[in-house]
Amino acid sequence: MKSWHLDRRTFLKGAGVAMGLPWLDCMAAEQKAQRQSIPKRFCAFYFPFGVSLPKEGSENSQWRWFPEGQGRDFKFNETLQPLEPLRESLSVLGGLSHPNGRSMGGHDTGDIFLTASELRGRYFKNGVSVDQVAAATIGKQTRFSSLVMSTDGGVGEPTRTSTLSFNQNGNPIPAINQPQTIFDRLFGTGDAGVKQQRRELLSAGSMLDRVLDHSRSMRRQLGTQDRQKMDEYLASVRQIEERVKRSQAWLTIPRPELNDEDRSLLHLDSDDEAPNEYIRTMYDLIYLAFRTDSTRLATYQIASMGDFTTKGMKFPQLLGFNGTLHKLAHGWNKPEGAEDLGKWDQFMAGLFADFLKRLQSAPEGEGTLLDHTMAFYGSSNSTTHNNSNYPLLFAGGNGLGLQHNQFLKFDDKTPLANLFVTVLDRLDVPVESFVDSSGEMSEVLA
Amino acid sequence: MRYALAVALLTVLISVSARGAENAARDDFEKKIRPILQKFCVRCHGPEEQNGRMRFDTLSTDLIKDRAAAEDWHETLNVLNRGEMPPEDEPQPSDEQLKLLTGWIRQSIDEAVKARRSTGGLTVMRRLNRAEYQNTMRDLLDFEMDYVRDLPPEGLSPDGFRNNGLSLRMTGMQLEYYLESARKALSRVIVTTPEPTVFHHEFDKTNHRKWLGNPTFADNLLDRNSIFLARMEPDYPEVGDFIIRVKAHAERKDGIGFPRMKVAIGYRPDTKIILTTALETDVKSSESELFEIRGRIENFPLPVRGQSKFPGLVIHIENVYDDSNPPPKQQTKKDDKGKDVKFYSDEPDYPKLFVESVTFDGPVFESWPPAHHRRILFESELRETDELEYVRQVLQRFLRRAWRRPPANNEINSFAEFFNSLRDDFPVFEEAMRETLALALISPDFLYLAEPAGKEKRSLTSWELATRLSYFLWNSMPDDELFELAESGELLKPNVLTAQVDRMIEDDRAWKFVDQFTDQWLNLGGMDRVAISQHYYPEFDVNLKPHMRNETLHFVMELLRKNLSARNFVDSDFAMLNEPLARHYGIENVFGYDYRPVPLQAEDHRGGLLTQASILLTNSTGEDSHPIKRAVWLRRRLIDDPPAPPPPNVPELATDNPNFAKLSIRKQLEIHLEDPACASCHRDIDPWGIALENFDAIGRWRTQIRRAEPGRKSFINLPVDQQTELPDGSKVESPEQLKRYLLEKRGGDFARTIVTKLLVWSLGRSLDLSDEPEIAALTNDFVQNDLKLRDLIHEIVKSEPFLTK
Repeated sequence: MKSWHLDRRTFLKGAGVAMGLPWLDCMAAEQKAQRQSIPKRFCAFYFPFGVSLPKEGSENSQWRWFPEGQGRDFKFNETLQPLEPLRESLSVLGGLSHPNGRSMGGHDTGDIFLTASELRGRYFKNGVSVDQVAAATIGKQTRFSSLVMSTDGGVGEPTRTSTLSFNQNGNPIPAINQPQTIFDRLFGTGDAGVKQQRRELLSAGSMLDRVLDHSRSMRRQLGTQDRQKMDEYLASVRQIEERVKRSQAWLTIPRPELNDEDRSLLHLDSDDEAPNEYIRTMYDLIYLAFRTDSTRLATYQIASMGDFTTKGMKFPQLLGFNGTLHKLAHGWNKPEGAEDLGKWDQFMAGLFADFLKRLQSAPEGEGTLLDHTMAFYGSSNSTTHNNSNYPLLFAGGNGLGLQHNQFLKFDDKTPLANLFVTVLDRLDVPVESFVDSSGEMSEVLA
Repeated sequence: MRYALAVALLTVLISVSARGAENAARDDFEKKIRPILQKFCVRCHGPEEQNGRMRFDTLSTDLIKDRAAAEDWHETLNVLNRGEMPPEDEPQPSDEQLKLLTGWIRQSIDEAVKARRSTGGLTVMRRLNRAEYQNTMRDLLDFEMDYVRDLPPEGLSPDGFRNNGLSLRMTGMQLEYYLESARKALSRVIVTTPEPTVFHHEFDKTNHRKWLGNPTFADNLLDRNSIFLARMEPDYPEVGDFIIRVKAHAERKDGIGFPRMKVAIGYRPDTKIILTTALETDVKSSESELFEIRGRIENFPLPVRGQSKFPGLVIHIENVYDDSNPPPKQQTKKDDKGKDVKFYSDEPDYPKLFVESVTFDGPVFESWPPAHHRRILFESELRETDELEYVRQVLQRFLRRAWRRPPANNEINSFAEFFNSLRDDFPVFEEAMRETLALALISPDFLYLAEPAGKEKRSLTSWELATRLSYFLWNSMPDDELFELAESGELLKPNVLTAQVDRMIEDDRAWKFVDQFTDQWLNLGGMDRVAISQHYYPEFDVNLKPHMRNETLHFVMELLRKNLSARNFVDSDFAMLNEPLARHYGIENVFGYDYRPVPLQAEDHRGGLLTQASILLTNSTGEDSHPIKRAVWLRRRLIDDPPAPPPPNVPELATDNPNFAKLSIRKQLEIHLEDPACASCHRDIDPWGIALENFDAIGRWRTQIRRAEPGRKSFINLPVDQQTELPDGSKVESPEQLKRYLLEKRGGDFARTIVTKLLVWSLGRSLDLSDEPEIAALTNDFVQNDLKLRDLIHEIVKSEPFLTK
């Protein structure tokens, strides 16, 4: 069952770290005021191989993933029906894609879903993902700068990545995939990784003290110009000392407590043999992490494009569907295939809808958790092998100045990265641009 | 360069006005000098126009206090001495006026130099740059790893080098990466795990055929299109040293090249292949030959266990010899069972590679713990009997190498205390030791080349000298021999110093110096910033670029090691070539990929740096030559006389003429010169590049210029028009004449440039006026000594700036 074994240190380094240092991944709150204001959050979900898209007006067109109509005047087909109650908190986005992905292999674009980058060089090096851009700033305000999850865990291989998140250098951040591990990390105590982290922090702290002492005595022996150089060095030491201190502070703050009801939601022993429970539990862990403000950023890759290696491949079969995920996906334009795939799409949409409803049921400030959470859901194929017109849902954030209840159809001149610019802006991490963006996505702004 | 720097500073300091008006010298200036400037200079260098960003009406006359102004006056002096200003078509000062002006400048400079000598010319404490950090960590820990992956790249200093103390900054983020890198490295170098299992594999033929592309799989005999794959699954290491031994021989006729064996390691992630080359070499013998490859397996791409569709680590061998002939077409035939088999028709003139056997062993170690572990944590009974004393001894040895000086007792005490304070949290000895050593590697003593000193100049200690030498000539830390000579003080003896410099130049690490210095001096990195047009050069093979770079590096090394004259940089009767490059230049009968001196004939049109493809390509557009870039390159890199940077808002070349695109670049430049705004600078720039018009964008000789017709696929041919007139009126009609002119008329500037570049590099700081006497003396000796390059290195390490802090 657990063919993937993740080294705890790797996990610790990767799961929360945007900056690449083990002791930076949990940052103390910057200021009390900031903690008291309502957190702004973002999460992203990915599934491979696209969706069912029979021709409009064809026999099976009720299994078309995209709704009928457009703008405010749209009607969900069968597939997205589970989302009907959430219309006011949801936009369906059509026509979008990453221009850099359009010329890539049909199965190679999972890597860039959140990075919009071109895979470069001999090692197919990626760029930073949108969640990690945010994590570098708002990640400091929570115990974990971000939560990176996938069904397969780890990083996978280039073009068949099993994580959605990439650090500032474009290196994949290992995803965690075992519910119990994630739970222990968020709410447990006595985690061996935390001990390791604690002692590295302590050691770094006293290391820096000594370096400061030593450097000050060295500084006294120097001439004027050299002293300026030394002052620059000392300032650098103080900068990281400050960060180490804040990280240490988190180690002494108790982790949030969960009530029995919360616990009963979770199927921590579920694994990839029980997709329904497993995926729900992964969604629920994000919900709990958000509700307890343990992190404000989460990514979850439900299955990867590695058709021979992703555990997600067998999910449909385990639930009584006829064929693997990839096989289902290839039926998108065949009469019975479109229906089979459509029903799978519907099942997936149902899980996402339940997640949104859970966020909606939790009051926060004058609204709900969903009002302060942006949830991005979709695939980097429209139909299998097709790297344009991604099927995308963008939900929540009504309290962050977003407007919904619309089916937006874009042409291929609008890069998907425009949405990332808007997401980052709503998270108070404004950027001029994101890779190939051409502006923000004003259509989703209220 | 000095001029460019001064100009940049000038804009900041322009408001600094001259003081001390009461002073008699000042009155002298106002009475005698100012009027001359006013009459002949201020019209173009004053309130109305600031050509070359110079203006004399506000330029400070206090050369002692205003360093930027001093640099500007110095440059003014040079321009006047060379007769470049005022321009010919402007009123000229009389001989007496000129004498007055230059006399005043020279005297003022001399005074400034004297006044400054007591404080100027100090070498600034400088941080290791990326390359130095990488080399130093590697040598210190005796461990191959990418130590700088996350470190930000450094910019160039105003002198064009990356080792300038003032330019190298430090930030918190940078320091974090140093700590992370140190911890990561030490966790590998110092082991806590038990002796690992060693995997051994033997292959006598390809054992795997699931691959991408259209290779044919050969069991042993590799031609142009076949590969040898040896796949290991699941038994391969993911960490540790490995040895691959390949037994192979060549099967070839005489009079053709040698098969070229490329051994790479990697894997296939589904629809891609990821490989890193472990060895590329000619296989010359027709007898069986053994090739041994060592490396760290974690430095190669490894498949992710359990997440791979094509699991297994693959040793990938191919014959990459390229005779530049097109590969034969793939054909299909039926095998015995009637199945289609792909094959290529045989090429009798293509050298074949016969791979007899391949073995893999890993992880390998002579003993456990491995040598790099024992170098730090040496074997001693003390460890059991008196741990703290053992730690002190470990630190004594380690800090001496890491800090490039003997540590003081209180420093060792402090580190030992730190070690002690960790023991509760780090119960495993090695783990506490790793943290303690990491502390040493983020200390300024390691990260900076520091030479503690007050305001006064002082001589270097033997340790500091060892460090300066090693970063000058190896781009890395001193080795044990240098440390020993530093400890005994022997290094300060001139004959010992000379012997060490010779040893260092012969050492392999000297390549790090040649690589870095040459790259920055000649801007070889520029090659990667030029995209070669597929339309113009469909036959160009990008694999040639590394060979072009290597030619230049080997050329510099040849001059250095053989102590040849630096005049070879301008013109030489040999080139350092290998087969692909010789073919590119149209020189025949050079076989094999190793570089060797090849004698040149006049009809080869080669010799010196200016005709090397690396330089010509760097200064091209990727479609055609770029005479202006070539000219600026020449003036900046070879005679240290860079033109002023272009003014802001440079207009595009006039393109009203519909046939403009069809004109040769030379004609285009002539139109350019019709605009007086452009002409004032460009008449001194363009001719230098026009003389090299016989070389196309990729550095080949040409007698016609190909120009793509706008909007069409076809080309037109234009004649090469390389005749030109240099700023001093000398006529130059060929690259050969340009080179002769450089040696005969600008030989002094050239010699001085070589001296300056090497001195700046060796000191890690910019030069200023107070270095002037030393530069002059070094240049003088250099010229007297026929510009012998290796001797110059010897002179530099014996010079006052090099030996003093």
